[in-house]
Amino acid sequence: MASPRTTEVGTVGSASPPQLWDPVVRLTHWGIALAVLLNGLVNDGGSTFHVSLGWMAMSLLVLRLVWGVLGPSEARFSAFPPNPGAALVHLRRLAAGRPKEHASHNPAGAMMVYAFWITLLVVIGSGLVLTGGATPMRIAADKAAVASGDWSALIVKDGGGANDSPRRETVEGVHEVAANLLLILAALHVAGVFVESRAMRRDLLAPMILGHRRK
Amino acid sequence: MSVTPALRSAGRRQTAALTVFLLVQTLGTVFFVGDVIGDLLEDPVSVHFIFEAFVTAALVLGIVFGAYSLRRTIELLRTQEEALEVARGALGQVIDRQFLAWALTPAERDVAFLALKGLDVADIAKLRGAAQGTVRAQLTRIYSKADVSGRAQFAAFFVEDLLGEAIAA
Repeated sequence: MASPRTTEVGTVGSASPPQLWDPVVRLTHWGIALAVLLNGLVNDGGSTFHVSLGWMAMSLLVLRLVWGVLGPSEARFSAFPPNPGAALVHLRRLAAGRPKEHASHNPAGAMMVYAFWITLLVVIGSGLVLTGGATPMRIAADKAAVASGDWSALIVKDGGGANDSPRRETVEGVHEVAANLLLILAALHVAGVFVESRAMRRDLLAPMILGHRRK
Repeated sequence: MSVTPALRSAGRRQTAALTVFLLVQTLGTVFFVGDVIGDLLEDPVSVHFIFEAFVTAALVLGIVFGAYSLRRTIELLRTQEEALEVARGALGQVIDRQFLAWALTPAERDVAFLALKGLDVADIAKLRGAAQGTVRAQLTRIYSKADVSGRAQFAAFFVEDLLGEAIAA
């Protein structure tokens, strides 16, 4: 009668991935995904909205990185160290249809996570260079000043060094290429989750949303 | 019926609230720090900046402590849930062993277990697809095998064990 039950939250000494990721991992994951999609596909660069979303993505990334040190075991960097060799082994096992279970991100997923973070840092860093590190509030204020006929806001920014020089064009190129790379990584990531879910016969998407529904 | 779903949803609400708070805190801090750095580039030697640096330090500390306490909450909830699972499994084993000791038949074991879960005769009969009279007869046999006066004493048999152990521990 007392059939062994499994806990929904957390893992009891087994190496299976979490049934439900903690709320910080989930919120930062979807927040950054939304910001990347909106900024990459919908709105135009340089607008207050674009810069605000970029800053929000930066905040979410900061929180996720802090969480990588202070968070629960499966969210910490130590649970998924970058290991290209292990990632290749995992992919080979996956191709053979025998993927091993891991307590956190699997090694291939971990490489994807780090690739995302590095690319995000490049996009955010180049974005900050392009705006001269101005906060969205400042950009909105400058835009309002220019709109009201006070063009001095533009002059101050040109003094900052990043005007229409070749350097600016390079940074713009980096920003654009890295942003496109993010979208490609996102597509790869979605494909990876799909393939892995089928190979493991396990829904990997539910733990990133609300967990498995109990019947 | 059971405390687990209530515990889980309360835990989820608590961690969700803490997470949203932490998120807002981080957003505020990053925007503020960005503003401070902007101020610093414009006018590095102002008294204003010293205060802003102080506020920045406080905000960053707030994030660190917030993240730490959220981690503690999440781990505490997991420990509680695991303890509950262990206790539940242990109680299940105790019940199974006792049923065997009383030499209950498989059908009687099923009925006894459902009775322990708090189902009444009509529910048990419906669940097992049996007549209410059959279930009543089975319950009577179970009570006599267990040497208890009725359902209340039957249920108390296991609760008493649990309470005794809890006090001893």
